[in-house]
Amino acid sequence: METFVIGLSIASILFMVALGLAIIYGTMKVINLAHGEMVMIGAYVTVLATKHLGFNLYLCLPLAFLVTAGFGLVIERTVVRRLYGRLLDTLLATWGIALILQQLIRIHFGLGLFGIHIDGLGSDLQNVPVPGELQQTLHFLGANIPVYRAFIFVVALLLGAVTWWLIYRTRFGSQLRAVSVARNTAAACGVNDKRVNMLAFAYGSGLAGIAGVLVSGFKTVSPDMGTPYVVDAFLVVVAGGVGHLAGTFLSAGILGEVQSFVAMWLNDVYGRTVLFAVVILILLFKPQGLFVSRSR
Amino acid sequence: MLKFRKLNAFYGTSHIIHDLDLDIRKGETFCLLGRNGVGKTTLLRSLLGIDVRTTGTIEFDGADISATPTHERARRGVGYVPQGREIVPGLSVLDNILLGCNARTDGQMTVPQLVWSLFPFLKDHLGRRGTNLSGGQQQQLAIARALATDPSVLVLDEPTEGIQPNIVEDIEKAIVSLNRDHGLTIILVEQKIRFARTAAHRFAILEKGRVAASGTAADLSNDLIHRHMGL
Repeated sequence: METFVIGLSIASILFMVALGLAIIYGTMKVINLAHGEMVMIGAYVTVLATKHLGFNLYLCLPLAFLVTAGFGLVIERTVVRRLYGRLLDTLLATWGIALILQQLIRIHFGLGLFGIHIDGLGSDLQNVPVPGELQQTLHFLGANIPVYRAFIFVVALLLGAVTWWLIYRTRFGSQLRAVSVARNTAAACGVNDKRVNMLAFAYGSGLAGIAGVLVSGFKTVSPDMGTPYVVDAFLVVVAGGVGHLAGTFLSAGILGEVQSFVAMWLNDVYGRTVLFAVVILILLFKPQGLFVSRSR
Repeated sequence: MLKFRKLNAFYGTSHIIHDLDLDIRKGETFCLLGRNGVGKTTLLRSLLGIDVRTTGTIEFDGADISATPTHERARRGVGYVPQGREIVPGLSVLDNILLGCNARTDGQMTVPQLVWSLFPFLKDHLGRRGTNLSGGQQQQLAIARALATDPSVLVLDEPTEGIQPNIVEDIEKAIVSLNRDHGLTIILVEQKIRFARTAAHRFAILEKGRVAASGTAADLSNDLIHRHMGL
């Protein structure tokens, strides 16, 4: 049961990161390799806000969302907007942005961010303290459930619900769906497609920022912490079926649990090996992913 | 109402429209004719600013819109029914119509009464996906969506192409009614000469991106059609 809940929390992080990635790719057909850096920035925002502003983790969630959404907005307006329709160029440009962001954080904060020193490890290998109530364990069905891991799952569910509402129940969502599949038609109907792109990029980045806040509670905060997430999130998006919210949710759940259980029984390396094997199997038997968007 | 002056249009390095001058008058139905590939659709896409690079000017209601983004042109009153309908997958019939309301400057997000009076059947399908309608119904939906933009000029690209005959008549009647009963200016790309003669006040035949012939509907003789369109 504990492993299952830990798997759910891994799945939840994957879901939040993948959801942002899927929205950005679905709308703009841009593979955003700087998406992992939004996770990293979300985590650094948490560190700085707790250290200097006295924020707790709850307050860091909206703050990180706003900051990373702002980063996303700037990246879209200054770089990505000039490269639409050029997949390879956007890949290279966003990869470059990822490297720049990593190095800027490394240069600016260095190893002294936390002001502590651990012999042999360096001084910045630390995760953020979570509020006391989230450090508890819950006894459920004879198992000890870490409350923080359950909290991550609840946040992911809430974000999934908000995103669903935004996409399927609002005017902006209708514009977003129209731009993602019929850009010219949407523009001819008065939809400002550039504005939709910009807001979608910002929202997707913001989701990754929230994931960063939650990750900072159990993982080391470091400049390159986001890189593995962008790879895993791509696996989730591809295995789930591009452009399908439910597919992303299901795929994140499966991959998160697989990784968690295998890592528990064997180790992390096997966990990731099996994860990749599962994705390959899914794509062998369902080349378009678990869910396929209907578009007759 | 609409003036093209020295218009040149390009897809990449392909030069499609050459130094075209054309006037469309307020309240008329203007028909663009010509063989496949002569630049009719490109001219319409130039008017909308869709994926075409242009030089020259496009004047709409006295303002040069040649550098205006597509969504702004829609808000200024250019309604567009594209070739192939392009119903947005995943959106219901109602959402497809309401998509057009994004172009309205009064902020209204309601389906205009005109849509229900022209295409009453749409009321029975509002919750269905637009792409699940038949081809003819989709064409009517595309016209309804364009009308929801509250246009002052409606641009239709082969609206009856590939449509079942019983619906073609309804669409033709709707187009004629939009012009004669509701005063809408219409630009129509059409291959069916019979309908062009019925609906149009004036016409232009394009050849290799240039106006090869033009005039009133009465001037649209069989000889002219045979000479320029090979029919």
